[in-house]
Amino acid sequence: MRFQDAALDARAIVYAGIQADPLVAEAAALLADANPAQRVLARAVMNGESTDPDAWRIMFPTLFADGADPSARERCEAILQAALRVAERGEAVRSQVRGAIVESVTERLLARRAGRAVKRERRILFDGVRSEIHPYDVTVESATPEVYDCKWGARGITAEVLLQLATARANAAAEGLDLAVALVVFDAHRSCLVRLARQRGAAGVTGLVALESLRGLARARPVAIPRVAGATP
Amino acid sequence: MPSTVDTLTTRTVATLDAIALVAAPVDDEWQYVTDLVTAWGARLTAVGTERRADVVAAPIEAAVDRAIEEALLVSDPHRAIDWLSTLPQVVLVALGERS
Repeated sequence: MRFQDAALDARAIVYAGIQADPLVAEAAALLADANPAQRVLARAVMNGESTDPDAWRIMFPTLFADGADPSARERCEAILQAALRVAERGEAVRSQVRGAIVESVTERLLARRAGRAVKRERRILFDGVRSEIHPYDVTVESATPEVYDCKWGARGITAEVLLQLATARANAAAEGLDLAVALVVFDAHRSCLVRLARQRGAAGVTGLVALESLRGLARARPVAIPRVAGATP
Repeated sequence: MPSTVDTLTTRTVATLDAIALVAAPVDDEWQYVTDLVTAWGARLTAVGTERRADVVAAPIEAAVDRAIEEALLVSDPHRAIDWLSTLPQVVLVALGERS
């Protein structure tokens, strides 16, 4: 098994421009150290219609209360302002920027654990297996490799994504390698489980890192979703 | 008269039903839409039942009111699907509860 740069096709060139947007790096740096409530703030604002910051301060009184810890309040304000700038983009660009932010947060958190082994937009080649078309969003290319598919919302979890991850893990196992495969989803764990409940092939194979547990990426390899008797995923 | 937690969670659950109608044109996702309404409705109802008599402070009530208002601004069906997950999270943060 070996990793390879993704083909530099038209999609990749356009998307590289999105990934290089300074707003992506700024938002990702803030969200990598955000707490779950601050991440919900970012998700809501980037999904929202209102661009008046006061509307969002009202919606999150525990984050913007008078007397709150000044440094925490400062971070909340920075997250709010960055998220509003994403929301003010056109719908199509907003969607691409949000996806790039999730990937960048994932890369930053993994780099705290795996350093320079963390890469972006890479494919995996297996001996005797036709090469995959779609690259993985983030990879950890070490003796205990990991691949991640990043999603803004649980709706992005599809049968095709799960199949690609499961196939990669199986192909690696055939070569005697323990490849960890996981989804990183900037959405609630509950919504992800709702989505996975009607999909097959994730339990016991694919890890799930949801909005509440993002910072766990910096601590340990993801663990596969447990198999539960009677449950589909 | 100040609201109680169960009043706010009941209103949020009713709003999920309204958002689901906005999301309805996305035929392929109707099952997911229904499942989200069921799952988040159950979570919010559980919080409302457990804290039924708790009176909420004015800023918390204003937060939930504004979040519901924001969710009802959404007219795009795809964004509505996102809000079926986002609204409950915002309300639960305001109530000091986990998702």
